[in-house]
Amino acid sequence: MRQVVGLTSTYSSDEFGVCSALYELGGMVVMHDASGCNSTYTTHDEPRWYDQDSMIFISAISEMEAIMGDDDKFIEDLVQTANELKPRFIALVGAPIPYMMGTDFDAIAQIVEERTGIPSFGFMTNGMQYYPNGISMAMERIVDFYCTEKKETQQNTVNILGATPLDFSINGSVESIQEWLKSNGYTVNCTLAMNCSLEDIQNMSKASINLVVSTGGLKAAKLLESRFGIPYVVGVPYGKKFASKLLEKLKLKKTSLGWDRKQVKKEKHLALIGEAVTSISLACAMEEENDVSVIVLDPLNENNELYRTLDVYVPEEDDVMEQIKSVDGIIADPLYKALCSNKEFYPYAHVAFSGRIFEKDLPNLINTEMKRK
Amino acid sequence: MLKLAIYGKGGIGKSTTTANLAAAFSKLGKKVIQIGCDPKADSTMNLLGGTPVQPVMNYIREKDEEPETIEDIAKVGYGNVLCIETGGPTPGLGCAGRGIITTFSLLEDLELFENYQPDVVLYDVLGDVVCGGFAAPIREGYAEHVLIVTSGEKMALYAANNIYSAVQNFEDRGYASVKGIVLNRRNVENEYEKVSNFAKERNLEIIADIPRSNDITHYEDQGMTVIQGDASLPISQVYLDLAKKLLEE
Repeated sequence: MRQVVGLTSTYSSDEFGVCSALYELGGMVVMHDASGCNSTYTTHDEPRWYDQDSMIFISAISEMEAIMGDDDKFIEDLVQTANELKPRFIALVGAPIPYMMGTDFDAIAQIVEERTGIPSFGFMTNGMQYYPNGISMAMERIVDFYCTEKKETQQNTVNILGATPLDFSINGSVESIQEWLKSNGYTVNCTLAMNCSLEDIQNMSKASINLVVSTGGLKAAKLLESRFGIPYVVGVPYGKKFASKLLEKLKLKKTSLGWDRKQVKKEKHLALIGEAVTSISLACAMEEENDVSVIVLDPLNENNELYRTLDVYVPEEDDVMEQIKSVDGIIADPLYKALCSNKEFYPYAHVAFSGRIFEKDLPNLINTEMKRK
Repeated sequence: MLKLAIYGKGGIGKSTTTANLAAAFSKLGKKVIQIGCDPKADSTMNLLGGTPVQPVMNYIREKDEEPETIEDIAKVGYGNVLCIETGGPTPGLGCAGRGIITTFSLLEDLELFENYQPDVVLYDVLGDVVCGGFAAPIREGYAEHVLIVTSGEKMALYAANNIYSAVQNFEDRGYASVKGIVLNRRNVENEYEKVSNFAKERNLEIIADIPRSNDITHYEDQGMTVIQGDASLPISQVYLDLAKKLLEE
């Protein structure tokens, strides 16, 4: 059945992707939607919510405001709140109701910017796309606006693009990527967007190379390449051997994927379900250190430019069920177990899928031996 | 690139004006796209010999997927005018305004303007600015100028005023501005005077005065514009003059 999720969960939405990407940058981020189900972001999808302050709001649009298209109230609320809180920027994030009404977020952002003098951005998310679209939109826009000046290139200096808790949790994985780079002679310039400031983003053009750690970081990497000629390598340094291979790719200073696209099916054949860049990296790490083949099933977006020969896009739950028929085991978020009753199942939690439920069980696999004992 | 949105009361002759204007621009050697923004999807019919193009919303409804190429949803009509219709949901259901916005973002994804490189884009929009979707053609990046089609009839002028007010309300949003009034005559008493007063009160210009003409009906019955039917007719000259004027300005 198309567009039906009967046994598992759904991934975090594009609007939450924007919120997650902008969480630490000092802006005022406003989801324009009715209050209620958007609290899923704070209670499930944002592990930083209780420990780290951020100006994330919901406009709480009412039925009559939606019917009347009353943008003025929204604008007044934005201007008044921004004047009180003095955020570094204002981000307006779309949701299903304004999407159906055709709210023009760019136009509203323009008005708010004129009235407050604070840079303002409209994000045309709709809550019906998945979180990488939102991360991608937010990172590209913020880099486009803030990183405009070419700074002198510093050799062996790297930006990390696409880091959010939705893919990496807050279990130390992102810090481990930074450590791994440092221990290999690199200076980490900016990690978009964890432990990161707008000043770091302004200085992104200093980097000699970018490391893209999720699909959400790809568009920003392409922008930095076209604007400043900074090449990028796609991959996450999971496992020891795959991390070494990724390091070799970084040293070449050329835009490339961190993996070979050719894949050979082995006797032990597993499937890994998840976001393309993190999952392909993890699959490669397992293949490098074990006698297995691991295909990636990507339920989020069709990322043909990233897939190896056996990886596939699985937009529907039925597609996942079909694909896992031919594998010996499945590595996926625990909520996928319902689909895999007759197979070996290896739980690997993903915040963007199960929120914070399994957060404590999420291992940090960066530059860690992946040999199965 | 000249990008114009044509608004006016339902049945006032927007599609006739738009299609003749498209034909006139092409006669002047320009590459033209006409986008009908009305669920009725009849804007471009007379550029296509009376055989309509499949509207974008119909394509999505029937195939249950978005079109992958411009060719899936466009047809080349008289004078190589590229004809597109947004169409709309099943009458009585859904949201027609949202259909227009969805079509526009789809055309953006398909890089219509980048690939086709038109000189002129014409948006023919349903009767009135009734919701966010029907204002989409005048948002930033789409039409830069609005033409309001009206006769001297009271209700046509009433609708024209609504459209003018809506566009004025969007002034601080960087939307399109009203370029002028196209008087499409219905032969009512003191018609020019009435429309002229309306225009003056709003500091607008009547940029074309189109007489009532049986030639238009004659050629529309054959599925064509008067420009295609006989470009030497006086009525054809009126459209050609309007096209020239818009290009010069």
